[in-house]
Amino acid sequence: MPSPWPRMLLMRATLGVGPSSGSQGVTDVSTSCDHAALITRCAQGDQQALKTLYQHEGARLLGVVMRIVKDRGMAEDIVHDACLNIWQRADTFDPSRGSGRSWMFSVARHLALNAIRYRDREVGFDAEFSANGTDAEHDEGQEEGVSPSTPVSEAFDWQTGERIDECLKTLTPERRNCVLHAYVDGLSHAEIAEHTGTPLGTVKAWIKRSLLRLRECMA
Amino acid sequence: MTTPTLGDDDHVLAGEYVLGTLPHDERRRVEQRLAHEPALQKAVEAWEMRFHPYSALAEPVAPSDYLWARIQRSLAQKTPATQAVKSAAQQASTAPTPMPKRARKGVWHSLPAWRAAAGLGMAAALVMGILLINPSSVPVTPQYMVVLMAPQTDSAGWVVQASTRQEIELIPLGTFEVPEGKALEFWTKADDWQAPVSLGLIEPGGPIRLRLDELPPLEDDQLFELTLEDATGSPTGLPTGPIEFIGRAVEI
Repeated sequence: MPSPWPRMLLMRATLGVGPSSGSQGVTDVSTSCDHAALITRCAQGDQQALKTLYQHEGARLLGVVMRIVKDRGMAEDIVHDACLNIWQRADTFDPSRGSGRSWMFSVARHLALNAIRYRDREVGFDAEFSANGTDAEHDEGQEEGVSPSTPVSEAFDWQTGERIDECLKTLTPERRNCVLHAYVDGLSHAEIAEHTGTPLGTVKAWIKRSLLRLRECMA
Repeated sequence: MTTPTLGDDDHVLAGEYVLGTLPHDERRRVEQRLAHEPALQKAVEAWEMRFHPYSALAEPVAPSDYLWARIQRSLAQKTPATQAVKSAAQQASTAPTPMPKRARKGVWHSLPAWRAAAGLGMAAALVMGILLINPSSVPVTPQYMVVLMAPQTDSAGWVVQASTRQEIELIPLGTFEVPEGKALEFWTKADDWQAPVSLGLIEPGGPIRLRLDELPPLEDDQLFELTLEDATGSPTGLPTGPIEFIGRAVEI
């Protein structure tokens, strides 16, 4: 065998964009803009339609992404990628399955989440806590053990006037905070635990149960 | 293939996916399942719908003036989605190469991404070592070699050996479980080709020999990748699914 092995150039892809996650929304907050119709026009190759969507939602998309990635440059990169994704995947959007506005925000959110979770795994963050969720059993015990002596204050001014408010209201403030820290700030279980000073297992159990409660309530 | 109803665990999983709490590898697993599990997809869509109002809790941030210009520049390099799919499909059915200049440009043309991967020599050396101490798997001294790495885990998954410039052998280094309803599709692209060319669907489990008769001879630095596609292969004739393994040919 030849001994001096030649240089090896190994490649890795930046982001393999996953399959369409699909998405929907309860209502279109911005009524002045027919998102679904504009997305349909994108699928037909109408760049003006994408521009209109960008003009209406660019700042809000960037706001949502910024909260998650916490870096201006990275957030703009993601909004750029999100717009290209919306353009390229416009023909997969199905108006019968959800609102266009929610669809486009979901595209951007998941790009942002993929980016920060990929970064997390590079620095090994949360690695030992991830996977299985077999710790649910002792979560129960931990959860009862935690009884904050002072009332937990709301981390978010979360009333949006939508139906889900009624359901979120049924959660205790600390559980509501966990859910919103995850959704709005893109915090992982471990980050929420650190941020709120709550044991990790408790955070996981709270979120899990909050999701079950919310689903039941919204049914 | 699909379950009509989901259990609580999957509803919670879908909710955690939408909330964003899942670690990276679990996110990817959910995304892979979404591609072929409509029930899970529906659950995710329902969570997107439920939580969407709270996207209003993030303060809007005005984008830089040049962001739209940048998006527009990127758009100019792409043909509109539906037309692109059509033209790619037409191309794919007529000639293997060249392909229209579009699609997946980000990955195939992303120099920084390739550069970022240059530091993976250790793993490559390891693979080479394995091959050296296991000469039975190297029947003929190869002229070219490619180590295909999983981009997410930086681990080597396959080796491509070419003892001639017209025949290659794809050798698995481990096991790879293809999700139900999906298939691994093998692609290659030399630097001056405009788009990758499919080498067909790959059944993991053993070495596979492929003739490259219809392609130009293998060259140094030629890219190879395995992507996860629908069971019948990419519908567009170009890679559409996530890259599972990727590497570049090296002349020995």
